Amino acid sequence: MEESTLKSRRSGERILTMILAGGQGERLYPLTMDRAKPAVPFGGIYRIIDFALSNCLNSGLRKIIVLTQYKSYSLDRHIRLGWNIFNSELDEYIDLIPPQQRVSEQWYLGTADAVYQNIYIIEKEQPETVLILGGDHIYKMDYRNMAQFHHEKEADVTIPCMEVPLDEAGRYGIMEIDEDSRIIGFSEKPSNPKPMPNNPSTALASMGIYLFNTTTLVRAVIYDAKQNTAHDFGKNIIPDMIQEKKVYAYPFVDENNSSVNYWRDIGTLDAYWEANLDLVQISPIFNLYDKDWPIRTHQEQNPPAKTVFHEDTPGGRTGMVLDSIVSGGCIISGAKIERSILSPDVRVDAHTEIYDSIIMESVRIGKNVEIRKAIIDKSVDIPDGMSIGYNHREDSKHFTITEKGIVVVRKEMHLK
Amino acid sequence: MATVLIVEDEQNQRLLYKEELKLEGYETVTAADGKEALEKVQEQLPDIIIMDINMPRMDGIETMGKILSKNRKIPIIINTAYSNYRSNFMSWAADAYVVKSSDLTELKNKIKELLAKVS
Repeated sequence: MEESTLKSRRSGERILTMILAGGQGERLYPLTMDRAKPAVPFGGIYRIIDFALSNCLNSGLRKIIVLTQYKSYSLDRHIRLGWNIFNSELDEYIDLIPPQQRVSEQWYLGTADAVYQNIYIIEKEQPETVLILGGDHIYKMDYRNMAQFHHEKEADVTIPCMEVPLDEAGRYGIMEIDEDSRIIGFSEKPSNPKPMPNNPSTALASMGIYLFNTTTLVRAVIYDAKQNTAHDFGKNIIPDMIQEKKVYAYPFVDENNSSVNYWRDIGTLDAYWEANLDLVQISPIFNLYDKDWPIRTHQEQNPPAKTVFHEDTPGGRTGMVLDSIVSGGCIISGAKIERSILSPDVRVDAHTEIYDSIIMESVRIGKNVEIRKAIIDKSVDIPDGMSIGYNHREDSKHFTITEKGIVVVRKEMHLK
Repeated sequence: MATVLIVEDEQNQRLLYKEELKLEGYETVTAADGKEALEKVQEQLPDIIIMDINMPRMDGIETMGKILSKNRKIPIIINTAYSNYRSNFMSWAADAYVVKSSDLTELKNKIKELLAKVS
């Protein structure tokens, strides 16, 4: 056991991680109005990218490139302030790289093009393998175990996968595998997904993570750069290579150690809301409190959260928080919060009630406000007596409303 | 007749290639560095490019990347005195890598081969 751990640690040293953080995140608008999707706040104090980065750190991967593009300021700042923990003297780094027009005069045309335009970084590092990650997934995974699987199978590419319900399979890259786990079919977002042979109600989904042998990756992205394609790993690179290359599916092992695997693609506002609300269950599948798998972030110094008022008289004020996450610096002053997530420095005033909502940093909520199933982005002042989430016709005049009826109030919106 | 763009900073070499390729029946266009090559690609739309690597103003690797981002279809042959640029990953984007030699047979064969592939 010890020997195999050591071996996988060593292999970790030769892995270069590239995190693709350049997507526009249009489906998360207005949360992405001012920031790239990986920089969207999550779970009170985190940003979405913290989960992939924590996986890297907990897997001993300390050579990380984050490829940015749209609205990268907030992401850049977060990484600079929160993740400046790598030691360059040990040849560890986390570097943010915007498009440099080094080999192309265009912005990144797709995920594969983003890697192609940064080939010189791979060349400089000369890694054995390159791990390609999205910056917008919530999961816990020890990449070393996958690297070991990759070496054992002598694979060219390894893709972690998990079973998903067949009726949701059209949202993912769906793969077919042989008895050795080699991928023999791959289609991105298929309209007729192929079910698993042993379980027809599920399909095998790619988690959008790729571990490549370096030369395989370089040749594939160069080849792709010369084709007229979407320049996308899931749509082009992987389907094109399963015939000739050894592409393997690695069954995802969730480090949450619960009976169900947790992996969420934060693709839509509804998925975002649900994944946040997952965290306030009594024993959430995704555990933020596991000391063996710490999730790192950047947060400013804040005083402790507090609740005030406990008046037993009729109509009295009582500060009350139930089944919720409350971050530092919040004051719940005679208000009731239930099944909600409060980022740092939120103030909620008397007789206000908040249910099933995500309230971001420095939001001020006045008296006698009612909020239900809403996402309130940063620094919004909600005036006394306002109602959000109870009358969608009224809400839709000012706010975004999702398919599932979540009301989204954009950052710094003036409501007074 | 196919047009060959010769990108080469050394004047005598450029002239030599021009004469030799004319004898083979090609039209030729020349550029003395990467920047000039980019202009010539736009103006003349050559059928194939012979690209030196070590050049002033803009080297062959960078030039090739820029050409590829605009026109993926023109085959490019890297032609350099050094074989160690093969370890530069971007050099893999070329359709062929021919080390310079006084004997131009290999280069001429590659040109023929790649042009045949395109047409």
